[in-house]
Amino acid sequence: MCAGILPSRGSKSLYDLIRGLRNHKGNEKEYIQNCLKECRSEIRSQDMDLKATALLKLIYLEMVGHDMSWASFHVLEVMSSQKYHQKRVGYLGAVQSFRPDTDVLMMATNLLKKDVAASQPTIISLPIAALPHIATPSLAMSLLSDLLPRLSHSHAAIRKKTVVTLYRLALVYPEALRAAWPKIKERLMDGDEDSSVTAAIVNIVCELGWRRPHDFLPLAPRLFELLVDGGNNWMAIKLIKLFATLTPLEPRLVRKLLPPLTNLIRTTPAMSLLYECINGIIQGGILGDGEDFSAREEIATLCVSKLRGMVSLNSDPNLKYVALLAFNRIVVTHPFLVAQQEDVILECIDSEDITIRIKALDLVQGMVSSDNLVSIVSRLMRQLKMSSAALSQQRNGLEGQDLETGSSDEGADPRRRSKTQEQAPPLPDDYTIDVIGRVLRMCAQDNYASLVDFDWYIDVLTQLIRIAPASQQRDLGSDLTSSTPKTAIDISEKIGNEIRNVAVKVTAVRPAAVRAAELVVSRLFLETSLSRPVVSGALKPVAWVVGEYPFQLLSPDDTQRHLLDLSPRVENPEVLATCLQAILKLFAHVAGDDQALWTPERKAAVSLLMARVIRVLEPFASHPYLEVQERAVEFIELLKLTAEAAAGQAPCTDELHQDPPLLLTQAIPSLFTGWELHSVAAGAQYNVPMPDDLDLDEPIHHDLNSLLAQADSLMIPVPNEDEFEAYYNEKPTPTSISSEPALSRLPDAPEEPPSSYQQAGEESYLDPDIVARRKAERLERYRDDPFYIPEATRSSTPIHTILQKENGPDLDIDSIPIMQLDLGKLSLNSGRASPNKQPAQPKPQTRQRIVVAADETLAGTGTGTSGLSTPLRYDSETNNNPDAPTRARSAAAKKLKQQALLQFDSSHLGDLRLEGAAASGPRSGGGGGGGGDPLAHERQQREEAEMALALKEVQRLRLEMQRANERIQVAQGVPEGGKTAVGGMAEGGEGGGEEGEVVKGRKKKKKKAVVEGEGETEAEGAPVAKAKKKKVKRIVRLDEGDDAAA
Amino acid sequence: MINAFLVFNGQGQPRLTKFYTQLDTSIQQRLISEIFTLVSNRPPGSCNFLPLPPLLASASSSSPNSPDAPSLVTYRNYATLYFIIISTATESPLALIDLIQVYVEALDRLFENVCELDLIFNFETLHAALGEMVVGGAVIETGMERIVAGVRAQGTVAKRPVNEGKGGGLTGGLGAGLGMGGMVWHGR
Repeated sequence: MCAGILPSRGSKSLYDLIRGLRNHKGNEKEYIQNCLKECRSEIRSQDMDLKATALLKLIYLEMVGHDMSWASFHVLEVMSSQKYHQKRVGYLGAVQSFRPDTDVLMMATNLLKKDVAASQPTIISLPIAALPHIATPSLAMSLLSDLLPRLSHSHAAIRKKTVVTLYRLALVYPEALRAAWPKIKERLMDGDEDSSVTAAIVNIVCELGWRRPHDFLPLAPRLFELLVDGGNNWMAIKLIKLFATLTPLEPRLVRKLLPPLTNLIRTTPAMSLLYECINGIIQGGILGDGEDFSAREEIATLCVSKLRGMVSLNSDPNLKYVALLAFNRIVVTHPFLVAQQEDVILECIDSEDITIRIKALDLVQGMVSSDNLVSIVSRLMRQLKMSSAALSQQRNGLEGQDLETGSSDEGADPRRRSKTQEQAPPLPDDYTIDVIGRVLRMCAQDNYASLVDFDWYIDVLTQLIRIAPASQQRDLGSDLTSSTPKTAIDISEKIGNEIRNVAVKVTAVRPAAVRAAELVVSRLFLETSLSRPVVSGALKPVAWVVGEYPFQLLSPDDTQRHLLDLSPRVENPEVLATCLQAILKLFAHVAGDDQALWTPERKAAVSLLMARVIRVLEPFASHPYLEVQERAVEFIELLKLTAEAAAGQAPCTDELHQDPPLLLTQAIPSLFTGWELHSVAAGAQYNVPMPDDLDLDEPIHHDLNSLLAQADSLMIPVPNEDEFEAYYNEKPTPTSISSEPALSRLPDAPEEPPSSYQQAGEESYLDPDIVARRKAERLERYRDDPFYIPEATRSSTPIHTILQKENGPDLDIDSIPIMQLDLGKLSLNSGRASPNKQPAQPKPQTRQRIVVAADETLAGTGTGTSGLSTPLRYDSETNNNPDAPTRARSAAAKKLKQQALLQFDSSHLGDLRLEGAAASGPRSGGGGGGGGDPLAHERQQREEAEMALALKEVQRLRLEMQRANERIQVAQGVPEGGKTAVGGMAEGGEGGGEEGEVVKGRKKKKKKAVVEGEGETEAEGAPVAKAKKKKVKRIVRLDEGDDAAA
Repeated sequence: MINAFLVFNGQGQPRLTKFYTQLDTSIQQRLISEIFTLVSNRPPGSCNFLPLPPLLASASSSSPNSPDAPSLVTYRNYATLYFIIISTATESPLALIDLIQVYVEALDRLFENVCELDLIFNFETLHAALGEMVVGGAVIETGMERIVAGVRAQGTVAKRPVNEGKGGGLTGGLGAGLGMGGMVWHGR
């Protein structure tokens, strides 16, 4: 430590460096570059003090973000210092800067062995604490034998560190655990062992426990003993966590555990221990099923009431968070217990704290039912609306402030602004996107099972589309060319997809969905300025809807016009392709009426329209995206042909009846009408049975090559239309997708109008125009319904407010009768638990039976495909969806293999059998003494692989060092020294397999190179030295200034 | 397991970084700045846990529910400093809050009335103290006495440089005394 602080021989100490950093505010970069340059030369010094100080400075700079991987060799040098304080700096450098690709590590093995075997405990600690950071399989293998004796070192501190280090070594080299486990177990069983060592062992046993719980069942008695009279909260927490993984394997443990756990819950003053007890009870499956019912009921009551108290209002936010975490675990096994807490959990959705919100949302998603969907979604929608309003307000506010800086009420202004920020802080974009995704998922769950009011849903979707793009407009403004955020686009496309799904699946509300799509198109048209590209991903599905169902459009002409205007500005080719298709569909609808007369007006209008469409399409004929190009070319040709026909067809006159051209009224519309499209399950294609007579190995044609050769010269006869007709209409039934939809009827859905069970009106989260439109539609629909009570009389149901007051915020939690485990009574209880669904309104009459078409699929061939018929699947949903398709699962497994950031990879441990090791007793170190034959074989294979790896490493190391050195030399502009150094490296590397030799050789050469390098810099370094002196002087001056000031 | 232990100040400047798995320096810095953004936007009265920063969220979504993956970011704010622990689900969230407390108390014992300056100039001691509590991501010691004794056994703990803190009275006057960048340090 002192080495770092005290300046030595005119060079900068760490202290100087830090002060210098603080004195160079503004041009820190330059200062740091200079310091790095100094460190580079200092670290090559022969003087160990100087070297260590330079390394310490580098470690400091690394913390701030300056790579020091180039110095790894010097780290080794300092590690091998004789002086403890220098050695410590070296080890710190290794811990902080060594990465998986740091190759000098191979040279460190002997050093590490030596230090592990040192006599002073402080020195032993260094390699032990550093090993977890730098361990590789080969390093672990060679150090294992040195570490094992340390498990019985006289210092407890060494023993416990060794335990942990052995665990970390086992992660990269599982055999280490096999050798170490007997000794660790011995320590654990030893009642006289230092308590902190025991705690450390429990800690790692807990880590191992979830991976291989079976191996630790025999330890249960000892662990139980520790839990009862350990007296250490930290260890107790770990023990409880461990037991939670053991109880599912050994149900008898439950009876034993219940008394001490209940006791802990009742008596412990430590909130963390209390929480972990509850958590352990939940995770260990101690709640619920079992023969000793009364005791369990008691403890379940206790746990849930405690958790409920944690979540409820006014409690410590940390407790709120952990209680939600616990609920998130309970919900997997005991959803009904969580459902009873719906009221308090819903309150958390509106928490200011995003962490709590997200956890609450995780929970809520699993609790959605037709009763609470609307109220949950309303809450979320209100948040989103307010946040997007706040965002735009903030932007306007900032702009406005620039203008009114001179205004008189300057004092009041900032206060006002901060207040509005407090009220509704704009939510981060990724959170907004996440919430929108959840809203969609909740509504679409199980093929819209929880959704009662589809009109409301369509309004929500319309509103969401308005909210979603607002978040990405900013990105659009800042940089168009580079990465427009994909997720943002995805989310608005997802919303659009929902509109499309509803339009396709729910025929009853198709008109409303189509009108919503129409609205979206016209809004897109109105809101994006002419010069700006259209980026909203929603356009694609929405354009498809307006094209597919033109009959439901209010104004097909306008919609077509909007699409025509939008198309040239669409950037995404896939969206564009859909738009083109929609344009032609709309054209067929607008112009293809075969009933109307072919009047001169119509002729003129149609010709004009065609000309317009062709003009829009023409640029796309050379579009780089093939789909777009193909469609554009086809449509242009078709329209040109039709235009000719239309021009040739004289219009009707009073005396002469003239039909419109058939091309216009028959041919083009027939392209798009015919079959109604149904939604098809994602995996339906896989279920198509293979015809018996189909032999995929059979060549298509016995003489294919000559056929292909002829193809150029041959005119392929155009098949006549009858053939096509036959092909499409006479498909063999088994391969066609069954057109009989498997209808799933919504169970007697409550037909009450939605606003009655919302806490606040839709006005709070829907834009006024959406609400107005909605109202008008509803009035229209119910005009003749005698049972319909108009809005005005209904909106203020007094019961609602009364109940809310009674169950509302000033509710005393303890006074709430606690739930009973009896599932049968659940429906009664839950009625009391949630105020939202209270008003049991008389059902007026079955208004309309909403039928949601299920995805079509062929009779499932396997259980794995049954999950494929879920209407919508998002990638991120796979973790929530229990029967996610196997394909997604295998993809996830594949991903799992790639290490996630910061993740400890303990997957290797899964295959290791500890019992075998324990039975055959302690083994000699180095992974020695083969067990069974398969084990020996396994080890041999691994050793061989490691050998090959090691050889490769040496090879790579040589090259890397060479290159690194070149880089350094180039950076310093010292060509001659560089050459010798490179030569030295290469020669050193040539040594090959034997490690010791490599190290030796390299060290010698290195020294030589360093010396030469030094000479170089000395010779040409006069100005550098001067500059350095100057800097030092200045710093000193500043120091004095500070002193004076202080 | 603890995946990382970080300390940075109110400006996001790191004072201690310890990653228990190897990570590129650039990614370390990205992670720190992401966490800093999260931590500096907390409304008053929030809990001591952060949502996963984007870097970790994307990583953990690729391997959901694996107890090996980091799933918890705990933080605690002392005066000008933020203490962060990134951990897996096998750690107890509330216990981690206490762990940070133990660490800060241990530093307080070592430096006597610790302040940010001590941490800036003695980051080796920070590492030493952490090394007595956490090894390789596993908590090995939570007893104050042993931690302090363990650090002291490694050599004397340097006091803050003499001309930095006049007599240890670390109130606002100190920042003004150094007169640098308008920074003000408060003692705990």
